[in-house]
Amino acid sequence: MKRLENLPTLRIHPEKTLRFEYRKKKLKGLSGDTLASALYANGIRIFSRSLKYHRPRGLYSLDGESSNTCMQVNGIPNVCTETTLLADGMQLEPQNISGSPEWDMKGFMDNLDWAMPAGFYYRSMHKPARIWPIALKQVRKAAGLGKISPDFQMPGRYDEIYPTADVCVIGGGPAGMSAALAAAEQGLRVILLEIRPWLGGFFDYRTADNGNGTSLAQSARQMAQQVEQNASVRVFTHTTVVGVYNNNLVTAFQKGRDGDSFEERYLEIRATSVVVASGCIERPLLFDNNERPGVMQIGCAQRLAHTYGLLPGKQAVFSIGHDLGLEAAVDLSDLGLAVACVADIREDGQDPVLLAALKERDIPFLRGWVATRAQGSKTLNKVTLATKTGTLTKEFACDLLVASAGMTPLTGPLSLAQAKLAYEPYTGFFIPKQLPDKVQVAGRMLGLNSPASIEASGQLAGVIAAADCGKSVEGRLQEARAQLNQLPGPDQGCKLVTAPVQGRKTFICFDEDTTIKNVKQALEMGFDATELIKRFTAAGTGPGQAGIPGHNLPLFVAQYHGDTQATAMPTTMRAPLVGTFIATYAGSNHDMCKRTPVHESQKNAGGIIRRIGVWERARYFSEDLSCREEIENVRQNVGLLDASTLGKFRLWGPDALKALQRVYVSDMSKIADGKVRYSAMCNDDGCIIDDGVVVKKAENDYYFTTSTARAGATVEWLRYHTRYDGWRFHMVNLTDAFGVINMAGPNARKVLGKVTDADVSDAAFPYAGYREFMIQDTIPVRSMRLGFVGELSFELHVPSSYMQTLWDILLDAGKAFGIRHFGLEAQNVLRMEKAHLIIGSESEQRTTLHDVGLGFLWDRNKSDAKTVGAVALKQTENQEDRLKLVGFKMEDPSRTPKDGSLIVDSRIRGHVCIARHSFTLKEPVGLALVDAPLAAEGTRLQIYEDECNGQHLHATVVPTPFYDPEGKQLKM
Amino acid sequence: MALTLTCPVCGKRNGYEFRYGGEEKGPRPDEADLTPQAWCEYVHMNKCVAGIQKEWWCHKDGCGVWFTTHRNTTCNLEVDTPEAQS
Amino acid sequence: MTVEIKRRSPLTFSETPLKTEVRDYWTVVQEYEAENDGPWVIDLSHRSRWDLQDSDLANVQPAGALIPDAPGHCAFDNGVLINRMNRTQASIWHLAGAPPELPADAACTETTDATLFLALIGRNIFAIAEKLTALDFKDPAKTVPFLYQGPFSHVPCQIVTLERTTGSGGILLTCSRGYGRDMGHAILAAGDEFGLRPAGENTFLRWIEALSA
Repeated sequence: MKRLENLPTLRIHPEKTLRFEYRKKKLKGLSGDTLASALYANGIRIFSRSLKYHRPRGLYSLDGESSNTCMQVNGIPNVCTETTLLADGMQLEPQNISGSPEWDMKGFMDNLDWAMPAGFYYRSMHKPARIWPIALKQVRKAAGLGKISPDFQMPGRYDEIYPTADVCVIGGGPAGMSAALAAAEQGLRVILLEIRPWLGGFFDYRTADNGNGTSLAQSARQMAQQVEQNASVRVFTHTTVVGVYNNNLVTAFQKGRDGDSFEERYLEIRATSVVVASGCIERPLLFDNNERPGVMQIGCAQRLAHTYGLLPGKQAVFSIGHDLGLEAAVDLSDLGLAVACVADIREDGQDPVLLAALKERDIPFLRGWVATRAQGSKTLNKVTLATKTGTLTKEFACDLLVASAGMTPLTGPLSLAQAKLAYEPYTGFFIPKQLPDKVQVAGRMLGLNSPASIEASGQLAGVIAAADCGKSVEGRLQEARAQLNQLPGPDQGCKLVTAPVQGRKTFICFDEDTTIKNVKQALEMGFDATELIKRFTAAGTGPGQAGIPGHNLPLFVAQYHGDTQATAMPTTMRAPLVGTFIATYAGSNHDMCKRTPVHESQKNAGGIIRRIGVWERARYFSEDLSCREEIENVRQNVGLLDASTLGKFRLWGPDALKALQRVYVSDMSKIADGKVRYSAMCNDDGCIIDDGVVVKKAENDYYFTTSTARAGATVEWLRYHTRYDGWRFHMVNLTDAFGVINMAGPNARKVLGKVTDADVSDAAFPYAGYREFMIQDTIPVRSMRLGFVGELSFELHVPSSYMQTLWDILLDAGKAFGIRHFGLEAQNVLRMEKAHLIIGSESEQRTTLHDVGLGFLWDRNKSDAKTVGAVALKQTENQEDRLKLVGFKMEDPSRTPKDGSLIVDSRIRGHVCIARHSFTLKEPVGLALVDAPLAAEGTRLQIYEDECNGQHLHATVVPTPFYDPEGKQLKM
Repeated sequence: MALTLTCPVCGKRNGYEFRYGGEEKGPRPDEADLTPQAWCEYVHMNKCVAGIQKEWWCHKDGCGVWFTTHRNTTCNLEVDTPEAQS
Repeated sequence: MTVEIKRRSPLTFSETPLKTEVRDYWTVVQEYEAENDGPWVIDLSHRSRWDLQDSDLANVQPAGALIPDAPGHCAFDNGVLINRMNRTQASIWHLAGAPPELPADAACTETTDATLFLALIGRNIFAIAEKLTALDFKDPAKTVPFLYQGPFSHVPCQIVTLERTTGSGGILLTCSRGYGRDMGHAILAAGDEFGLRPAGENTFLRWIEALSA
């Protein structure tokens, strides 16, 4: 198709050809083309088949108002070809076809519409019930648009930005640009969002005079230049607003263009004030076959010519209800389109200049006429026009019908911002009657049509937005108001909702194939509210959301009810306003997790790493997931565990002890110098949430540890529970400042003795002791003698930067003593053998300190401290029907139950917390929380494992710890 | 997140940076003579105002302060300026 | 075999160091190959940092410098940056010159090993930051240097903006050391389109000198 040349409005670059494939056929387009315009230039008229009826669908609009032109592009389904720019090498496939768009084997569906009345999904195929599974398969096959394979990998790069602005303007037409400039003039930071790849809106493609001798297109480009050169205005073109939330959070996505580092990027903008200047779309004209390829909206026809250089047809009929239609008829006729007739729905109110122009060109003009039927089995070849009552008709042969009932405001962003919209009878628009705080509105969406008024309303909105931001703009505000007041106000709008038709093939929603007849069926069944009709007929639930049906549906419903549309309300819009790739929302999606200082070295030593909470940790050190060698080595020689993830805190100040007394259940005033004190924290229900050790380093100066999971919340927890007290204490989270090595096993002391001059004998550094000393005279360590795994062990806290060095030193020094790594799973088994608990494993949210047998930690004589959990501990101390933590052995030693298996009799009586084969005891053992009556030693427990097929396992309650009950090993 | 909260130290920030700390209920009651009923009331019972309520928030991703502020629970917007406490 | 005593940063860049120096057991990269003309990310994790807390900060003068009055304000003097965090807390970062002498009293806790410490300097650094945080570095109500405590790439950070002129900018940030590797990767990935590259300490020292001049 030959392009029109030398039009000043063109956005294509004829010198730059792009190649692409459509249905494996090699085609050419131009740089600047959208996929849709490039296809149109190659003579493609049928872009897809419709969802239910497989009707041919073509180019109707250019801003993605419907799914007509959605295609699979480079393997990605449902790409809107109207809004996607052509790039070299793209591969396009039409959707929802069996065969080709022209010859679709499911085309017969169009004649089966009688079988698919409104809500037929809900009303058929469930009686008798047995047909549903069969019907379901067929429905599933037919449902949905586009295909995607489950392992599809989205190509390209997706990104995100989080900018801040004083004023965010939605819409880069003349009103939006004016608003942006007016706000920027007040020294504010402005963000301007425009859905098209360029600024200019309704002005961009029109050669009509703007009233001062320049064309609208020319003046739009001048204004765009001003905006782009203004350092205070940040312009985002090809950017679609998808959400507007309270507090003026605006979300949008931008499509990348050549040279951008992203395919699409997500924008989350925090603005003080928002100006909505999203303009208007055309309200679709409802008549029979109103979506036949060859029927298109005014803007679509005019932009094809002026923006893309494509004359949209040869012989055209216009059926319109707005002066823009008359302007387009004159304009396209001048570009070489034969216009057979212009039918205007309106009886009067037309611009006399445009009427004279039609006459000058001998274009027949019918006042009060409207298209009632488009003919042509696949594409348009004839149009029937009729008077509004349908009494007189005329037919015209044509290949293009430019049809539009009039304008309607694009209220999506306003609706999301929760503006109250109401029908305004003069313009026929849904106009905001009540705007949310710091949201302004401007431009054509208020019903304005005069270019000067549109710009002035933008300026006014920009100034009000500046006032929202706290600028004092009184004088400027008065000036802007006065200026707008002396310009023409809103134009009268066209009221017609449907042409005089029965509506069996009159589509109110293209995406969901909803006809006027379907809407009537819903109304007749008693669905009287628009929102209900939307759901029952699916009108407006497709990808275009409310583009095509948006305002016609409420108007039609109101008309049906016989009211004067005064009560008509558009249906609720929801984010995202426009279909958005999940990849765009995901953005670059950095997964942030923490690693310990010896992460790499453990990995190199064969450590198998698992993500546990925010950390990555070494769980196993061999492919043997039972960890036998690791476990036995700790029991026999010595092992090294990286425990760096433990929470570590400094707490000091005059009220430090009070703070400790508040959160720890024990009496923390009794910590001896050079000793560690083990204790626990509970929540207000007496449930155990944390355990750890506390060291008193100096008067009012403590160092304590928490479990890994509680590290992040500990400072917050202490501050929360002391928030009314005004105590003077300070905390520093040292979790990441120290690496922690747990060196455990009978040989631990020998290894440590090799690397330090400090006396680490049992006499000098006994069990539960705390010492500070130097390793190799250089590395300062804080050391505790603890026994979590049940062997002689030294926990070494070392500044993180030295951690790797110390790790290497110990491995080197320990070679002679059989030192090796052990991981979390080995530790888990070792500590289980000692019945030492891990919070979250042997406890859950309802488990109290008493339940797990740690009630002895609680000091009941410090009620002045108002210890968190103390009241509940007192109240639950002797409560019956609680769970108790017990140890058990299996009757059949060849079977170890899975963690989490249930303890049952005739009902659930508890669960297995952990069970492992104990290499030390040479049989499986475990810990379980069971109902108190089952806790007595010797009780037989029935264990229900998942997928056990009714075959219960049996265990016996035994005393704990299983290993070294006297604790000789750890006190060596 | 659309919600913003005004931290008395850091100023207005995105709601994601904060942790909710419950309705303002006053300091912990004295343990002497405390009935289980009264304790339960203090710990678990909430007013759940549909409208403006005073509540605690922690600026967990920022300075870490606990503060009270007023929030309209029907539109999830902060109102007034919060009172600083810590 | 004896193990050489070394202190290690939580982050290593894959670029090849051109010049290094061993200082207090740290191997400090002074210059990388092909540093180009910025923007740069510089690992300063070896530089000393402290946390300072006192109920009455007005009476404390670490390294002889005054702590700024209002939270969010910073003071940069003699190569030492002091950031007021809240009513009772400040952080002290040693950036250049002779190490400060800090009071050995209880109020100070050394936090050098607790955090990753990065500098982002040069062109477009705020365009990079905007991809990782909603914090508003261009807020006209703030004057440099100022402190933000907030999320950067989802991780709570302390971030000080030292300079934000049209052509260039500089921020310093600390976050929990455990996030070191991921934070480095997130920043380098975000800065890729702007040519962000690792640079050595010398580049930072030159920059900070020019800033103070």
